This record gives sequence, C-alpha cells and structure tokens, in this order.
Amino acid sequence: MDIERIRKDFPVLSRMVRDKKLVYLDNAATTQKPSVVIDAVADLYKNYNANVHRGVYLLAEESTQAYEDSREAVRRFINANSTKEIVFTRNATEALNLIAYTWGEANIHAGDEIVVSIMEHHSNYVPWFRLAHRKGAVIKIVPSRMDGELDMDAFKSMLSDKTKLVGIVHMSNVFGTINPVKEITALAHKKGAAVVVDGAQSAPHMKIDVRDIDCDFFAVSGHKMLGPTGIGALYAKESYLESMEPFLSGGEMILKVTLDSVVYNELPWKFEAGTPNYEGAIGLKAAIGYLEKMGMDTIESYERELTAYALEKMKTVPGIFIYGPLRAEKKGGIIAFNIKGVHSHDIGTILDSEGIAIRAGHHCAQPLMIDCGVSAMARASFYFYNTKQEIDSLVAALKKSKEIFGHVA
Amino acid sequence: MSLEELFKEIIIEHYQHPKNQGHLEHPDAKSDGSNPLCGDEIAMELIFDGNVVRNVMFTGNGCSISQSAASLITEAIKGKTIEETRTIMNEYKNMLAGKEYNADILGDLEALSDVKRYPARVKCASLSVAVLDQALQQKK
Ligand SMILES: Cc1ncc(COP(=O)(O)O)c(C=O)c1O
Repeated sequence: MDIERIRKDFPVLSRMVRDKKLVYLDNAATTQKPSVVIDAVADLYKNYNANVHRGVYLLAEESTQAYEDSREAVRRFINANSTKEIVFTRNATEALNLIAYTWGEANIHAGDEIVVSIMEHHSNYVPWFRLAHRKGAVIKIVPSRMDGELDMDAFKSMLSDKTKLVGIVHMSNVFGTINPVKEITALAHKKGAAVVVDGAQSAPHMKIDVRDIDCDFFAVSGHKMLGPTGIGALYAKESYLESMEPFLSGGEMILKVTLDSVVYNELPWKFEAGTPNYEGAIGLKAAIGYLEKMGMDTIESYERELTAYALEKMKTVPGIFIYGPLRAEKKGGIIAFNIKGVHSHDIGTILDSEGIAIRAGHHCAQPLMIDCGVSAMARASFYFYNTKQEIDSLVAALKKSKEIFGHVA
Repeated sequence: MSLEELFKEIIIEHYQHPKNQGHLEHPDAKSDGSNPLCGDEIAMELIFDGNVVRNVMFTGNGCSISQSAASLITEAIKGKTIEETRTIMNEYKNMLAGKEYNADILGDLEALSDVKRYPARVKCASLSVAVLDQALQQKK
C-alpha cells in the first residue's frame, strides 16, 4: 500500500493544525473524506440535482438512478440478498431506533428478555432500555472478560426461551474488540431470538457478509466509512421488513392515500418517509467505491499491522493503562487508555497542541466506563490513511503529557 | 498559545494536592454538578457564619482544570462575605468569558486565565462556579 499516495486523496490530511501537521486519530468518531466523495456530492449539485422518485424529467431520472445505485452499492458491500433489504437512514442510531420502534414495539412484551452486551454504544442500549421500560421487558447485560473479550459463557447462560432479542456491537468503539457475531447469532436463533448487530465500527474496517453472519438486522453509519454525515443504512432480512409497520410516515413511503385508507409503498421505500438524504447516499456510493477499490482485506490487514505497532509503542508510555484486548488479532484499530496522573481531557489538550486529534470522554458508552471504574478514557482510533510515523508522534506526545504533569507515582 | 501557560505549575499543584477537599459535618448548603460530555464532577459543601462563608469543602473527579479550579476557588472564598464571594465569582466568569476583569480580586485564581483560549476547556473551569452558584442560592 502506498500510503503517501492514498493520503493525497484526502484533502484535509495535508492541513496544518497549530503549526503542526494534522495527525487525525479520531476515526472511530468520524472519518475524513476522499476527494471522490466530496466531488460526487458537488457533481450532484452542479449537474443533476432533482428530488428523487418524483419527477418525470431527465434530472430526476438521473438523481433517482444515482440514489438507487447507492442502495445497490450498500447491498453489495455487506452482501445482502436484495436491495429491498437496505433502508437508508440518517445514521446507525436511527437504524437501531427504527428497529426498536417498529419490530420491537410489536414483538417485545412484558416479561420478555432482551440481551445486550456491556460494550454497547448508547445507541444500541438506550433504545432497548426504553423499549423494555415501555413494555415491562427485562434487559440482561453480557459482561466482558478481563481480557476485553465478550464473556461467551455468560452469554450462553443468559439465553433462554424468554430471550426475544439479542443486540450486539460487532466492533466495540472503546475496546476495539471484534465480537463473534456469527456464533452469537446461531446461539440466539436456536432460542428463537432476533439478532441486531451494530456494525457502525466494523463495516468501515472489515469485510461484512450479513448472509454469512445470518443476523436479522445490521446497522451502519456512512460518515464512519468515508461517506458524508447524515446517511446511514439499516439492513434487515426481507421477511422482517415485510412484517414490520412503517417507522416514520408521510410522502415516499406510500403507494396510495385516500382520506380513509393508506397503502404502504413496497420495500424498502415503505421505511423511507420524506425526501431522503440523496446527497448523502450519492456520497456514500463514492465512499464504498473507494473502499472496494482498496479492498477490505487490504484495509483490515494494514490496520492490524498499525494496531499491533501502536499497542507495542504505547506500552512504553510510563503509567499507561490500555483497556480492551492487547492483541491486535482480537481487535480493530481502536485503543482506549488512561495515563496515571494525567486526566484524559488534559491528554486531549496536550495532544491537540501537537496537532494530534484524539477523543477523550465517555465515548457514549457510560455503562462500560462504570464497569471499568473510570469516568473517562482517552482513545486513539486509526484508519488506513494513518501511518507508523503518526503513531510515533502520538507516543511522543503522550510521553510529553506525562512530563508536564510531573512524574507522579 | 503555549501549554505551559495553560498548565501552570500552580494549577498542577492544586490538581495533585487539592485544598479543601473532603466533607463538612452539617453543611448549611450543598450542591453538585457535572459536565455530561466529559464526566467532570464537583460537589461543594458550605458552612456560613452570618453573612460569611466560614468553611467550604469540595469533592470531585475530573481533569486538572476542573479540579484545580475547585481547589483555587474554595481557597479564594473561604472567610469572605457572601457579597465578596459573588464578586469573586463574577470576576472569574468575566475572565473565562474573555472580558475585562479585576486581577487583584481574583488573586491565585488568575492562574486559570489562559483557559479562555481553549474553548473546549472553559466548561471544565466553569463547573465549580456553577455549583457554587446553586449552593449560594440555598442561603436565605
Ligand atoms: C459502536 C457504535 N455504534 C453506534 C454508533 C452511532 O453512530 P451514529 O452516531 O453515526 O449514529 C457509534 C458512533 O460512535 C458507534 O461507535
């Protein structure tokens, strides 16, 4: 991989920050965009902007085609059976809420059990928490092991005939742990439970095959995989979508409306009320094209090498504690840590003065913070455009932050 | 904009060895607050003697800015009248907002003046005064 050439595809990466070269290590929050994505969005507005699924004129045909081509790109990217199974949403959060408010509302009843893991992002916990509250259902939390992996024994023991839904994050946005979603799905299906996989962090970094996983739902966010903000997708098996009530209603999601009757649109449009974010979808298609050209296997193996390098180097920072798996084979390019005597916000500010962008805080995973006995962590997260030199800069800045705060025990 | 100006020695000293940390028996007023985004937490307890803040203690956890601010501000107001306390708080808020302020009134608290150049950190420095504000409202 020619990283220097790849970096040229991302205009923002050549930016200077506080007189230093930008080192962008907050990719789990959002990724930077290559010119092909920026250009695809600009091209829409310069050349063929028209509302989709509405006009009979050429521009509308072109924009509708581009929007639906993007759906096909998403289908191919995660290997779904059909574009009927791909619903565009604003982001992963909206995809997960869509499931909770439609399938969940109809299928979860008092006394039912919902099993989720301690690693969930708030977006795959709060919707289930609220659903459970509304219905009088019970939420069970699968713990993680000391080594940052999911406690599969605990998971198995929690499954029962009462389990109606299993929600699991594919790649933790804090630990970086890659959870065995295929095995989890098979176990859950044996009990007749539906399985929701939160793929917000996995889809950008590894090959996804929803048919192989066999999960019933899979959620992604475009902005974490080179795409624009405000576009995401929900994959759901066709049989599920067929049986589900619409989520939002209005234009686009109907076939026919009279004053006393409504016929819903076909899949997947039944779940896309209102003018969709076709600008975002068109950008997402360009993003997927870029990723496919690079090859997800190439991306995954390069990031694994980078992560192994980072884990090795970061260990040399005095007083550092790294959360989650310490072996790169077990995780994606996400490393959460704390340094004794230096709070993560202070680390964030000190790194910023070196042009290095990382995240500090609770990472929208407060139950996991509580479980780790901390209120905040610092987190560096990588993408294929990051380099070993950037990791060296990170490690040097971490050592500097330790120095600023003195060598306290 | 240098880091040494933000993380002055006095700030790091108060962060690592905070003053007035702990609890009071039978406080007249108490209040707490947090910054939801970053998880900084501060709780304050006060004992009044007539119109005077006779004692004040805090507990909390968070970054060097939020915790040193709590330590410095409790030092600044201990033994002061409520009116003087409010003046100090106002001058401190002015300083963080980038407005003119009276350095003599602020004393050591002026060490936090560079925080205003880090917009993301102003909230950390402001948490203590917000908590103190609430606590003072409990004083009739
Ligand atoms: C694991 C995980 N799930 C879900 C989300 C939510 O993504 P979005 O905010 O794009 O909806 C995130 C974002 O940080 C995430 O890391």
